[in-house]
Amino acid sequence: MQGNTAVFFNKLASGKLWLQYCESCHKYIFYPRVFCPNCLKPDLQWKETSGQGKVYSFTIIHYSNLPEKSEQVPYAYAIVELAEGIRLAANITDCHPKDISIGMSVELTVKKYHYSYLHYFRPATMNRKC
Amino acid sequence: MQDAVITGIGELKPAIVNSGQTELDLLMQAAAIATSDAGLSKKEVDGLIVTPPSNDNYFMWPSQAAEYLQIKPELLDMVELGGASAVGSIIRAALFIQAGLCNHCLCLSGGIWDRRVFNTLEGKKKVMSQAEIDFELPFGPMGFNSAYALITRRHMHKYGTTAEQLAKIVADQRFNAMTNQNALFNDKLLSIEDILASPVIADPIHRLEIVVPCSGAAAVVVSRRDQAKNSCVRAINILGMGEAYTHNSIVYAADILESPVKKAAGKAFAMANLKPEDINLVSLYDCYPITVLITLEDAGFCAKGEGGEFVMNTDLTYGGKLPCNTHGGQLCCGQPSFAGGMSHVIEAVRQLRNEAGERQVQKNKVAFINGNGGVMSVESCLILGGD
Repeated sequence: MQGNTAVFFNKLASGKLWLQYCESCHKYIFYPRVFCPNCLKPDLQWKETSGQGKVYSFTIIHYSNLPEKSEQVPYAYAIVELAEGIRLAANITDCHPKDISIGMSVELTVKKYHYSYLHYFRPATMNRKC
Repeated sequence: MQDAVITGIGELKPAIVNSGQTELDLLMQAAAIATSDAGLSKKEVDGLIVTPPSNDNYFMWPSQAAEYLQIKPELLDMVELGGASAVGSIIRAALFIQAGLCNHCLCLSGGIWDRRVFNTLEGKKKVMSQAEIDFELPFGPMGFNSAYALITRRHMHKYGTTAEQLAKIVADQRFNAMTNQNALFNDKLLSIEDILASPVIADPIHRLEIVVPCSGAAAVVVSRRDQAKNSCVRAINILGMGEAYTHNSIVYAADILESPVKKAAGKAFAMANLKPEDINLVSLYDCYPITVLITLEDAGFCAKGEGGEFVMNTDLTYGGKLPCNTHGGQLCCGQPSFAGGMSHVIEAVRQLRNEAGERQVQKNKVAFINGNGGVMSVESCLILGGD
């Protein structure tokens, strides 16, 4: 892993999710890139985000043959829409899969992953059930 | 596309277990059937478009295929649009012919896939972008199953689409497949209950709603109208075509329920000067039932969000109001690599030629066909017409 991708994961060590923000068109972008894909200008700065979001869609994986994941079934694989408007893939953790619904509020929880970190989401504090 | 017509089709019976043949062995057999169907000798083939190999090396693949077949095309290309590659190659062949670059363009697709093809980590990575490997794979997506499950779940949430409505598409296609001796799954009819009783793999998708990878090949010849041979059964007109793209990974689609079919089909209908109500039968790319449902909506066969109700109230079998995937679709015939998408074109040509036998559709003047690449990422559409 190198370049802007490495920067993204290294910044997770802060416990926060950082995204590139374009100073020209005033938008966050994801995934990390060399130029802003909206205006093709190089004016990208890393900015901390709120870590708040909503479940845009999700699936419960009942059958997985991926290493590490096969013992974790059933698990939730989701698209999360951040308050900043960006969508990304993540697992919804710290709750039972049957309690997940589209539109539910979730918050960032950074966990160790191999030699680095990974951004997961759990039900937002106010409506967490477990 | 006034000058370009489809003159030949050829398809091998798909196999769950490949019997030791190479990809080029498969392609050659499909090419032999299609060129013979078009009444052509091999020498007359002067254009070649192939879809990518599944196991062999990509490097100079069209040239590798031409050498194996011992043909001397004057224009060679490879089209890589995932599941839209087959329809995409017909579009490009028609353009080459319209431009006067060749007279008979052979469109070849096929390969060797088995059930495990996407099931290993390496197999998954082969069909992922680096961004997907970096930002999606750590969360355990199950390839296309989970991606289409995300679309299905949101469609159910937003429009109230039910599991029964989606299963109805599979049940109707299975009915169609019962007449197709080349289908992989034609041993018994399936009820909606049977489909929903199969295990949930990636909720809300059930095992019987997932296409099965297999091996095989398919070929289509596109010819200049004035070069079509007398022995050709009947030349099929290319009335309209269109293609569009919105995203690669479904995570970054602006709206996961709005597919590029809308734009691609819109272009094809405008070129043909036809409307969805003029269409007699459809061949819709079916890796999961949600693709068929969203294609029906976005191509304009029903209003957005009403696909569930539409498929429940419309007989999609060969004797029905809107015959859909009369060969049984990929859900019954399997997905022999990119030839899976060619099966939709070939079945439409059979129907338009009155060669579909027991499953012949009575009103068969105009057909709509789509190919879907990735996760409703790239869409290629064709409108074909008989006499």
